[in-house]
Amino acid sequence: MAQVQTQEQRQIPPSKKKSFFSEKKKEAISGYLYISPFFILFAIFGLFPILFSFYLGFQKWNGLGAMEYVGFQNFKWILTDPLFWKSLTNTLYMWVLGTIPQLIIGIILAYALNSTLIKAKSFFRVSIFMPYVTSTVAVAIVFGIMFNNQDFGLVNIIVGLFGVDTISWGTTEWGVKVAISTMVFWRWVGYNTIIYLAGLQGIPNDLYEAATIDGATIRQKIQYITIPMLRPIIILTVFTSTIGALQLFTEPLIFIGRTYREEGITVVLYLYREAFTNLAFGPASAAAIILFFIIIIISSINVFIANRIGR
Amino acid sequence: MRKWLMLVVFSMLVVALFACSDDSSTSDDGSNDSDESTSDSGSNDDEASSEEAVTLDFSVFGSTGYDVLIEEYQELNPNVTINLNEGEMADVHNNLFTAISAGSGAPDIGMIEVSEVAKFMQASDRFYNLNDYGAGDVAGNFLEWKWQQAQSVDGAFQLGLPTDIGPTTMFYRTDVIEAAGFPTDPEELAAEIDTWDAYYEAAKTIKAETGKPIADAPELVFNALRDQNDQQYFNEEDELIIEDTVKEAYDYTTKMIEEGLIGENQLWTPEWGSAMVDGSYATMPGAPGWMVANVKGNAPDAGGKWSLTTIPEGAGNWGGSFLTIPKESEQPQEAYDFIAWLTAPEQQLKSFHNNGLFPSAPSVYEDEEFLATTDEYFSGAPTAKIFADAAKSVKPVYMGVNYSIVNTAITEALANVASGGADPQEEWETLVKNIETQLERQ
Amino acid sequence: MTKKNKPKKISPAKMFVYILLTIASILSIFPLYWMFVMATNENSAINSVPPAFIPGAELVTNFTNVINTIDFFGAVWNSLIVSSVITIGVLFLCSLAGFAFAKFNFKGKNILFIAILVTMMIPPQLGLIPQYIIITKLDWLNDLKAIIVPGMIDAFGIFWMRQYISSNVPDELVDAAKMDGCTNFRVYWNIAVPVIIPAFATLAIIKFMYVWNDFLWPLVVLRDQSSYTIQVALRGLIDNYVRDNGMILSGTFWATVPLIIVFLLLNRLFISSLTEGAVKS
Repeated sequence: MAQVQTQEQRQIPPSKKKSFFSEKKKEAISGYLYISPFFILFAIFGLFPILFSFYLGFQKWNGLGAMEYVGFQNFKWILTDPLFWKSLTNTLYMWVLGTIPQLIIGIILAYALNSTLIKAKSFFRVSIFMPYVTSTVAVAIVFGIMFNNQDFGLVNIIVGLFGVDTISWGTTEWGVKVAISTMVFWRWVGYNTIIYLAGLQGIPNDLYEAATIDGATIRQKIQYITIPMLRPIIILTVFTSTIGALQLFTEPLIFIGRTYREEGITVVLYLYREAFTNLAFGPASAAAIILFFIIIIISSINVFIANRIGR
Repeated sequence: MRKWLMLVVFSMLVVALFACSDDSSTSDDGSNDSDESTSDSGSNDDEASSEEAVTLDFSVFGSTGYDVLIEEYQELNPNVTINLNEGEMADVHNNLFTAISAGSGAPDIGMIEVSEVAKFMQASDRFYNLNDYGAGDVAGNFLEWKWQQAQSVDGAFQLGLPTDIGPTTMFYRTDVIEAAGFPTDPEELAAEIDTWDAYYEAAKTIKAETGKPIADAPELVFNALRDQNDQQYFNEEDELIIEDTVKEAYDYTTKMIEEGLIGENQLWTPEWGSAMVDGSYATMPGAPGWMVANVKGNAPDAGGKWSLTTIPEGAGNWGGSFLTIPKESEQPQEAYDFIAWLTAPEQQLKSFHNNGLFPSAPSVYEDEEFLATTDEYFSGAPTAKIFADAAKSVKPVYMGVNYSIVNTAITEALANVASGGADPQEEWETLVKNIETQLERQ
Repeated sequence: MTKKNKPKKISPAKMFVYILLTIASILSIFPLYWMFVMATNENSAINSVPPAFIPGAELVTNFTNVINTIDFFGAVWNSLIVSSVITIGVLFLCSLAGFAFAKFNFKGKNILFIAILVTMMIPPQLGLIPQYIIITKLDWLNDLKAIIVPGMIDAFGIFWMRQYISSNVPDELVDAAKMDGCTNFRVYWNIAVPVIIPAFATLAIIKFMYVWNDFLWPLVVLRDQSSYTIQVALRGLIDNYVRDNGMILSGTFWATVPLIIVFLLLNRLFISSLTEGAVKS
């Protein structure tokens, strides 16, 4: 392989002037070529389902019979359903409770894992990533036991040490949200840590060394080297975890199961229930469309804010 | 180093691609095979089909033990190959739903649980009417209420043939019952607690004597009461009728919750499972046959501390399934022959002995060996006989397609009353409103 | 990590880092440990008060039950194929696209990039039925292609690669290579790829684990037992009404072991690439 490469390299330079296309044009062609697989595959497997959802938003359909055009009726239903608004506020609360701490702790852990101070990094890295590896079945059982409603439940014993009364994690307004957020936090913090870690490792060490020579403190190093260099990755995680949080589905489904309790229902759980339990695909699609626009608005705001970090 | 790595990655890619194409070609072959056999049998349908090789895809959920019976059937009918695919209950139903919604990919025989029957009944045009294949002739083999569950309201369309059922009884802790001064013998206890008024009085006695509630899961008490109505959530015109039918059961249950006579555990939670071990309550009404395995699994060392008897004022049914033939199948006759054989009383008896599937064919209940089944874990009670008696007393009920919407709402309200101390009447008003919102959208 | 700065004294900062990482590790590893505990216990031990905290004696029994119920090894093999092919494909396609977005100039670049991001915002749950229809039209039901080909769509991967490349592959290097007459692909291959190996390792880990643990989509398109991936097969352990959690978690645990091995392998790649990078810089 190595030989082939060097040979080719030798051959290439002279051909430059014979080039049919200009350098700019070649670059554009390569660009389109390189990104085309995504768009081709997406056009086949992603676009049709999306258009179908948009179409369904204006239909009445139970998944089996014929569709019937109903105009904006589905949107009217969704927007006047208190449960939809409840699911939206639930989602936003859990986003704040689960996602924001997740990103902050993720950066701290990545920073610790990347520091030159410690040994056994491999061990720590593997352990911290473990929740992402664990399958949902195990997570459901483990969290079911930990967030037991009774006073002998593990979490209730722990909060009991701080003088808090037994909390019914499965049925109370904040109990459910805290439990689900904990689960989200726990499942994704390792994931974000790994992402930040890769970002941190792309920062050349000599930058830090130079700063050390100049007498910079750790705080200064973080503020003037780490955060700015990491900004692209931070934007990425803020963006993706915001979307992930607004589409929160698996964790609440695991935790509250198919009872769809009001305290823990999220927007996606709400539309999933409309579609597959109540067979009301029209309103479900309408809810999906509304959520889509909410996500666009919220992520734009987010990226705008994240963009200013460290500037 | 890096080039070496890329080399490794690329050789992995090549290997994986090979492995992949290899695999897909074999599975292609597999589907070609079945395609061929399909078209073959289709073209020669009227000729002696017993000569033709037939492959039937059969999707089931849970531990049915059907693999053993399939082998037996294949020996009797060497031309038939049955391809059994086992999955999880919700998955199998969702897959069947997507398949008939998209019009492709359904098996030749699909298993449907009773709670999902109404949903698929809406799509009865996507299934064969088993009456066309002679289902009417075997109807008499099955319990009437079970048969009706998979029948259209007018009785013309038969969606499926019945497999197992889940007639409900009342499990009880002999230690708690004895401590409260009640007889531990099943018949004597049933005589003592023979009405729901008596159950309420017993609850007060048990509370006074032992400090324990009579039951730990509000849902089970409610279900037991609900199942004694011949109309429950909807009438046959699909109108919501809960105010007239199950409100009484709801009031009874919530009243006992508020008086501390019923606990607050929700079904399937770890705390519900652990309560089976320590005997923190006296009875578990509304427990069907499959609950036996649940109790044993959660509390393997509590043998002899449990027993079971009949529920006051009559039993209900919880669970059980049907075998259906989606329209996509190109060999409905062969599929029907097979399921008719599989659900015949003799085979149901085998399923009972092998896997504990409780038979829906009452003739099995006369079988001596069947009746003699006792269970040491349940203090030697004649379990099969008690379940069989319960099965005979179940009332046929029209469930309606939206049964689960109502059920979920009521379960949630009961949980709110039990663990959150919510006001039962307010909860009821909320649940009625929520149900109505959901219903008007369909 | 590097030999250049070696702190000599045990600082309080070091202590703090150790304590922090230890707590985080314990909290993270606990469920996996518990999975193992329950995989070696009887079902009753899980729902008892207090639940079992030490491994029991049912290791072999539980796993034998798993093997008797489902085709465990066949399903693991299918999962290995699906996960490896998707991972390798995604690494290649996403890094190529990410490179184009980060380093090339072409018309509509920004709009196309935003279009990719927007695709992430659509809740996927409703697409199930139309997507299924496409698969049946392609006649890919029960075929691993039904998982692999759509699995190559990874907007996150492109985003990730673009971000990483834009901050870690210096423009000067790209320009210099072009001056030397490298083709665009060669710039990608010789300049970008070696620098972004940590990004490859990260994406590979994330993607492999994701595909391995995904079950919603495989569940819908794989209906024949011979084509099941491990997560679909494991669902067959869940009975209608009665759950043997010991057996379920035994299957789950042993299905996680290959993941841990893959993770450790990629982790090595991660580390070796870093040392190399550090030496270079």
